[in-house]
Amino acid sequence: MPEVVIVGAGIHPFGRFKDKSYEEIGAFAAKQALNDAGVAWSDIQSAYCSRMYLPATSGARILRRLGSTTIPICDIEAACASGGAALRQAILAINSGEIDLALVLGVEKMPRGFMDPSMIYSPWQIQMGMSMNPAYWSMRAKRHMYEFGTTDLQIAKVAYKNHRNSVHNENAMYRKPFSIEEILSSPMVMDPIRLLEICAANDGAAAVVVASKERARRIGGKHINIAACSQTLAQYSADFRCPADSLSATANNMGPTEFTSNQAFERAGIGADDVDCFEVQDTDAFCEVEIYEQLGLCPLGEAGRLIDEGQTEIGGRYPVNMSGGLISKGEPVGASHLGQVVEIVSQLRSQSGERQVEGAKVGLAHVLGAGGNCAVTILKV
Amino acid sequence: MDMVENNPAEFQRVPVRDGLLAGDLRRLDGVRLAGTRCHSCGEVSLGQNQVCLNCGGDQVSHVSLSDRGMLWSYTIVRNRPPGDYKGPDPFKPFGIGLVELPDGIRVMSPLDVEISDVQIGMPLQFRAFVQHVDAEHHEVIAFKFTGVA
Repeated sequence: MPEVVIVGAGIHPFGRFKDKSYEEIGAFAAKQALNDAGVAWSDIQSAYCSRMYLPATSGARILRRLGSTTIPICDIEAACASGGAALRQAILAINSGEIDLALVLGVEKMPRGFMDPSMIYSPWQIQMGMSMNPAYWSMRAKRHMYEFGTTDLQIAKVAYKNHRNSVHNENAMYRKPFSIEEILSSPMVMDPIRLLEICAANDGAAAVVVASKERARRIGGKHINIAACSQTLAQYSADFRCPADSLSATANNMGPTEFTSNQAFERAGIGADDVDCFEVQDTDAFCEVEIYEQLGLCPLGEAGRLIDEGQTEIGGRYPVNMSGGLISKGEPVGASHLGQVVEIVSQLRSQSGERQVEGAKVGLAHVLGAGGNCAVTILKV
Repeated sequence: MDMVENNPAEFQRVPVRDGLLAGDLRRLDGVRLAGTRCHSCGEVSLGQNQVCLNCGGDQVSHVSLSDRGMLWSYTIVRNRPPGDYKGPDPFKPFGIGLVELPDGIRVMSPLDVEISDVQIGMPLQFRAFVQHVDAEHHEVIAFKFTGVA
């Protein structure tokens, strides 16, 4: 396989921008990625737009703002894994030999509060009151607490860490540290998940310019290698997540995070211990807890210990969500994975300032969402 | 006992989702969740399906699932669900959970149990009930699990 590299990265802050259209937010991130790469929009041969809640042909509507074009521009959707799906398409196109320079843009503009349930759930699930994504996450948390003794305090510590990390991220929405007491006394959203332990739907965009190794050499600059970009769908009953109506009590399939990261690790020729920094799906704080186990950072049931020991803090053995994670950045669904990728690029270029993981050479980005859609991207210097 | 249950002739009844319920909807105490058992891999899936949702095999039987189960996990819904929720108005917090049935499947269901009493492992009983009357004047039959006395 030819190698594909990231030559430029750009991001529009994640937050709520009621006076800005999605076109404006998306074009900002795309333009920044092009400038960072030092290439012109007219040099791009194909573009992919990851979004979930925006209208048809959003990618073309946004990118036409950079100048008239005839290149193929496709919108890509795979729930929370949309960004990974879009990046993967660009990599495949470059690997096919048809093109050698592509733009991948993730963008979203979402209303406040619970997402529109009809995007994900069937009418009967909405009528019966089973149409809130956090309900599904919470049931995973309750079961983990029951089986392994994971505590409210351990879950709160993840939110504490991520909020604290976000203070140094100018692109995060909240950027405010909260004490453990403030987190534990914030309103219960879905037992046991509290308001300060859950991400908000919001607006944002992130983009990367990717190139073949040969094209990148001609462009010049410091490039980041894409060691793997895997996207999979959860195996039968391997993941209880919205909008599931049931779960097998007898099937014993490997979960999507483990399955996808195993595939990515194999393609990259490395293991979890070789990764210096992680950005993972913390749509709620418990989600990050179970991902520690599923990525192999600790054995099953021991994620609580890992957070107690501070191993996932910046400076720890496995730094996770240096950016502040989705808990503090918010989750503009189509943009979230590319936002993670932009953070890893910044880490591997040693441009992350106060939140820099010293000497980071390998980073992993992970997303997982509705229907068991999962993506893992591994980047290397 | 729902008042309308004694007047089955007045309304035609429909399940909240096609293929989800087994039994005569005019007699709610005989209604069960419908399931599909695969002759190839043995998995039981929810509802009447034409192929096995695990292996894709088409040698399947439609079965009625057990009306007794045990709570595998749960959460409490503290805010009115978005969209066309048909529960009580004004809203009353309620539990939802995964109920493990002896058939080898855990089913997502609203819980008709006092929220402070909900706990993992508790035994539960299936109940079909009239959830609402739809625009075509059909009584829509949904389900929940209640505590066992």
